[in-house]
Amino acid sequence: MSGIDLGLLSFPVLMLLIFLRIPIGLAMLLIGFFGVWSVTGSSRAILAQLKSVPYDTFSSYSLSIIPLFLLMGQFATRGGMSKVLFEAAAAWIGHRRGGVAMASVGACAAFGAICGSSLATAATMGQVALPELKRYGYSGSLSTGCLAAGGTLGILIPPSVILVIYAILAEQNIAKLFIAALLPGLLAALGYILAIALYVRLFPDSARQRDAVPSAERWQALAKVWPVLTVFLLVIGGIYAGWFTPTEGAAVGAAGTGLIAWLNGGLDWTGLKESILSTAVSTGMIFFIVLGAAVFNSFLAFSQLPQEAARYVGESGLSPWLVLTIMLLCYLLFGCIMDSLSMILLTIPIFFPMAMALDFGMSAEETALWFGILVLIVVEVGLITPPVGMNLFVINSLSDGVPIGQTYRGAFPFILSDFIRVVILVLFPGITLFLVTALY
Amino acid sequence: MVIARLIHRAALALALAGGLVLVAMTLLTVASITGRGLIWLGLGPVPGTYELIEMGGAFAVFSFLPWCQLQRGHVTVDLFMERLGRRANLIVDVLANLLLTLAAAVILWRLWLGLMDKARYGETSFILGIPLWIGYSAAALGAVLFVAVSALTMVQSLQALSGRAAEGDGR
Repeated sequence: MSGIDLGLLSFPVLMLLIFLRIPIGLAMLLIGFFGVWSVTGSSRAILAQLKSVPYDTFSSYSLSIIPLFLLMGQFATRGGMSKVLFEAAAAWIGHRRGGVAMASVGACAAFGAICGSSLATAATMGQVALPELKRYGYSGSLSTGCLAAGGTLGILIPPSVILVIYAILAEQNIAKLFIAALLPGLLAALGYILAIALYVRLFPDSARQRDAVPSAERWQALAKVWPVLTVFLLVIGGIYAGWFTPTEGAAVGAAGTGLIAWLNGGLDWTGLKESILSTAVSTGMIFFIVLGAAVFNSFLAFSQLPQEAARYVGESGLSPWLVLTIMLLCYLLFGCIMDSLSMILLTIPIFFPMAMALDFGMSAEETALWFGILVLIVVEVGLITPPVGMNLFVINSLSDGVPIGQTYRGAFPFILSDFIRVVILVLFPGITLFLVTALY
Repeated sequence: MVIARLIHRAALALALAGGLVLVAMTLLTVASITGRGLIWLGLGPVPGTYELIEMGGAFAVFSFLPWCQLQRGHVTVDLFMERLGRRANLIVDVLANLLLTLAAAVILWRLWLGLMDKARYGETSFILGIPLWIGYSAAALGAVLFVAVSALTMVQSLQALSGRAAEGDGR
């Protein structure tokens, strides 16, 4: 069997193992290991590689940004920031129709600016916003749906763990990717708010109205948001301005949110211990998958599959837009059953060279940035699509007693809003690239 | 079981140690950036921050792995298996934990050989001249415990399969 055949065969085998509920990182590690063994004909190459690959992967300077961002998110959840953000947003838009749900989305977006993980954003904001939504008579499906969708803003709005992984796989500038993600992230928040506005007009029973807040109180509530704003501007601004590397930026963010949490009394020894242990579980999970993917991808490189696939697509004469559409649909499909990180790690080594082999009338870097943001969005949709949308489960378990079926239905308007946004961003790459071009 | 409790406690302690190193890394970085920013005051960046972050990061991640496995934190896809009934699931658990133990053992074995290589050739870090085997040794702590934890989870899933564990973490 040729390397290409082995490469092609590895995917169904991988899927089988994953469906057997073997941990995804382990499945990739095993198939990569035996894959390199069969392509090279002996165990020597892979065993020699394994002397350094785990240590090199785990000690990678650019990957150390991930535990730092996770720690930053943990500190942010302990700093009482979610409550402050929600109250400020509710003071300004809470009195509108569907306003409390809109405020939840707005607060999620703001929280996403200091947290790089969707599940953490959904869980934190869910705890604060769900009781309020219930108090104002919001239906179970709207409350859980808007928070599950709002949680995805944690990843869409920089900093973002998934974008870091993409940047490393595709060898792109992390700072530029963060800048490129900004407008699409804000567009996402806007799209969700519009979805809520339409929803409450179609189903007027799903929400009661809240009294307006006097303008003095509004400004007071807004003023309390400054620590979040400072940390965000310092981290993203500092990375962009070149004051520090993205990894240093993550460390600054962790220190900043840690300080806020400590000043708010959320970071005593118990708080620190819990933050560390949550960070440990997420970091262990992510790095084990990253390690498995590193071994699996070195097998793919041996098999020549990525190069051949890119060459094939480049020479096939297929319309670039058709190929792109198919790739994005693949992500939506996989997203129903897989988590976003595994999807990115599995597919980017093959899809990225393919995308770069196509001509979209942009420079190579522009294509890489734009493609990265599109992929980021479609994998995040996977977090709110049934049956395996992690955000849906997180929010549903926080709500007391909303049936999961209602949460599934509640997510629908937001999934629709995601679809429309993907189409807009595909048709107008300028939205993604505008800030990058303007700033660099 | 005494051994299970011991492993649990060691994994917890190591994860906390890794986390404290992570916190130390953030403080070191902030100090270094501040120094770099105040260069006109005669201050400067902390030398070797880059390589300290790398070594600290490796220690932290390796230290987190055992705790993550103990909390069953690894990502799996629960889509088809839940329909197959309890026994099939228990068998798959044993298989998955067995494979994980083997993988962890291979990782430890190769890491150990890598450590010996670094020690034999006397490789050191670029700026501070720290011998690289030190980083590998710190990482090896986590790798050893990762094998122990995987083996423990395998035993627990075997017990669950043979119906001996009435309660506990062996799902």
